Amino acid sequence: MTSFVPLTTVFPGLVWLMAALALVQGLRRAALWRVGAAAPVAWLEGLAKLPRRYLVDVHHVVARDPYASRMHAVVAGGLLASSILTALAILPPLAGFRPYWFLVALAFGVTAIGSLLVGARRYPQKQKRLSAGRFQVLPFLLVAYAVGGTITALILALGGGGVFGSVALALAAAGGLGLAFEVRHGPMRHAAAGALHLVAHPRPGRFEGRPDTALQPLDLDAPRLGSEMPADFTWNRLLSYDACVSCGRCETACPAFAAGQPLNPKKLIQDLVAGLSPAEPAYAGNPYPGDRAGHGERGALARLIGPDARIHPDTLWSCTTCRACVEECPMMIEHVDAVVSLRRHETLERGALLEKAVVPVTELRQSGDPGGRPLASRTDFAAGLDLPRIADREGVDVLLWLGEGAYDLRYGRSLRAFVRLLREAGVDFAVLGAEERDTGDLARRLGDEATFQALARENIATLAKYRFERIVTADPHALHALRNEYPAFGGRYTVVHHTALLLELIRAGKLNPGRLPDLSVTYHDPCYLARYNGETEAPRAVLDAIGVTRREMTRSGRRAMCCGGGGGAPVSDVPGERRIPDIRMAQAAETGAGIVAVACPSCTAMLEGVTDRRAEIRDVAELLLQAVEAGR
Amino acid sequence: MRIAVLLSAGLHPVSGASVLPRVEAQAIRMAAGLGEAVGLHAGPEAAALAEALGQGLARIEHVGIAAGDDPVPALAARLAETGPDLILAGRRSQGGDESGLVPYALARALSIPLVPDVVAAAREAEGSLRLDQSLGRGALRRVSVRGPVVVTCHPDAPAPLAYAFGRARRGSVATLAATPAAIAAPTVAVEERPYRRRPKIVKGAPAGGSAAERLKAATGEGGSAASGRLLIQPDPEEAAREILAYLRQIGVLAAAGAAKSKT
Repeated sequence: MTSFVPLTTVFPGLVWLMAALALVQGLRRAALWRVGAAAPVAWLEGLAKLPRRYLVDVHHVVARDPYASRMHAVVAGGLLASSILTALAILPPLAGFRPYWFLVALAFGVTAIGSLLVGARRYPQKQKRLSAGRFQVLPFLLVAYAVGGTITALILALGGGGVFGSVALALAAAGGLGLAFEVRHGPMRHAAAGALHLVAHPRPGRFEGRPDTALQPLDLDAPRLGSEMPADFTWNRLLSYDACVSCGRCETACPAFAAGQPLNPKKLIQDLVAGLSPAEPAYAGNPYPGDRAGHGERGALARLIGPDARIHPDTLWSCTTCRACVEECPMMIEHVDAVVSLRRHETLERGALLEKAVVPVTELRQSGDPGGRPLASRTDFAAGLDLPRIADREGVDVLLWLGEGAYDLRYGRSLRAFVRLLREAGVDFAVLGAEERDTGDLARRLGDEATFQALARENIATLAKYRFERIVTADPHALHALRNEYPAFGGRYTVVHHTALLLELIRAGKLNPGRLPDLSVTYHDPCYLARYNGETEAPRAVLDAIGVTRREMTRSGRRAMCCGGGGGAPVSDVPGERRIPDIRMAQAAETGAGIVAVACPSCTAMLEGVTDRRAEIRDVAELLLQAVEAGR
Repeated sequence: MRIAVLLSAGLHPVSGASVLPRVEAQAIRMAAGLGEAVGLHAGPEAAALAEALGQGLARIEHVGIAAGDDPVPALAARLAETGPDLILAGRRSQGGDESGLVPYALARALSIPLVPDVVAAAREAEGSLRLDQSLGRGALRRVSVRGPVVVTCHPDAPAPLAYAFGRARRGSVATLAATPAAIAAPTVAVEERPYRRRPKIVKGAPAGGSAAERLKAATGEGGSAASGRLLIQPDPEEAAREILAYLRQIGVLAAAGAAKSKT
């Protein structure tokens, strides 16, 4: 090295410069989050729990793609280790210690291997779900920084230098400064925003092992309802969207995307990101199906939803709120919350529900049932069965919540089977009868928070009149509302899904099913039971108890695919190229099972409506009743 | 164009909750496409009016009258005062007396014309209105009117817009005192019987015949409608000839030949 300053100072100085540049770029971006609304954040707790949230919760999701997990361990670990070690070499004792530079070279070497792993995902052919654009440059920057760093550190370790050393340092500088520059708009933003997002996550309960899935209640007296523009989101939500690394795992999981409806969760989040700043580089991933280019105005105060805005209304109404994207997101982004927040503005402030959804939501508001049917006829399905009303009783063990499915002729069969099983097991139960209103789930998912809250208050007042130990329902949507969303309005109940109660009755010996070994069954997990409430085992245990041959679909449990029946998607009915339930039934057919077991009225209706279906659709309760009758 | 939309106190047919009748929500949508609209309601309470605000009306005037009083004088007085260019109403309310007579009574009280069963309205040049009137079975008649007019909305008009809670929150209901002396609502002598579902009688349907023939008769393809002739802007002489020929055909006038032979 022939310059005035020795290489042992310039090289660590480069890393410090990188850190400074990254900080400046990060702060420039962070200034945009300040337009967002205030949000309560437990900073100290978040900071203390950051390592655990990253190494356990994030890793759990990333590791579903083992390549990505290993790639990150090597490249992110190497990048951090080599940069920190080099930065520390600003201290003279370390700078002069040659074996230390061997260690630095080793760390850079590991980073170099990681950089090649990053490159291998993108060259010669990038994986379909990944975004191109600035992400395609990332491997080059990483390789330059890592290889330049390795050579520079080796020169320092072995002695020597000259022109070769300057070239290596220049390479490292180009790569390193490039990476630091990318913190504002490029791929490296996911590292900075992602770490901060884990600290300030809007749903910290997610990391405590409980499903934190209830929608947050909206203050109906607030000056503005829902989100119309980026500035209407809270600042930590804006931060969370910046954490998006465009990996596209959400789009591979999204049922609406698979069906060719105009929704791509990755593009949606990227539209929220791009909406924040006009300087954001162009999106380079898969578009919304149907290729609707959203070229609306950008900026913190620009309208996000509209035929001419960045996000077309059809995109918003395609979502089934199945949470598959949230489940798959390694950056822990809450897509469904964003969708509902945008829907709330459309519905509450603009009355812009899709035309087909207007009637059910209006009926829900006016009569307490989306079909406008008399509440007293909810129990018609049980004609001939003895169905006690809770009003006639002093108090019961189990309050059976029937839900909207009771009006459906097909689902009435499932409920009849369940009621007969309850009788068989001698369970002390009753129904609300004509006093049961809809839980308001449909209205809430479609953004009509006012109707939901009115229904919730009415139901809570009704339930307060009666004594019961717990509520049992066969409808996971009602279960989710009663169990997780009513507490915010003062209704706290023990709510059990019918499959869990049936398993309990079998285990207690109150139901003695025979075995049905000739049936081959695959169980379709309802989103609102599996993903929203983490319950995947009880229905499978019931099926195992009756001795059917149980097969699993490729996507099952918490990662199961939606039937298309949630979130008001069937009533909004946004056209696509395929239908979601058709795709799901094709997946079920792959298992070769003759029966698809379901545990939700929406799934029953959606899957039963598939034409050309070979498998039968049976509720878990129906199968159990068949086994109990066979065992007599 | 200043528009008044008449609002009634409707009841939900199933739940009995007080709601805005659907056809009035359609009238609000129609009004929104024409100009600035103000709601007008005469009745004892303003419970269901928030719903009309949520449908898009920014302002509603509520004339307080006692339950059982005739709303027509109160409405007529207020409308005479404000003098809107267009008074929109639903074809009939739901859940109350549902006589469907209030728009007619108002039109008579204000001495202005009434165009019933309108499904679409648009503004034309020079302040006149182009209205599409439903004649049933999908047939429409287009009329142009000028000046103050009462228009009733038909259920076949475009479906109502969605209710928006935010709009209902922003809108205002102004309560006005009733100016004229209260008059009890005219009691219509009616006979009440329990509802009995009856088969729909199709005129001229072949008693036997195949299902296809009966369908044809029911939908008018082979019936009276099919045998008629539609003349578009005919010559007056020709039109008169056609009308005479038709009246002779159905026996209202004596046949041409028969008339001559008598004289």
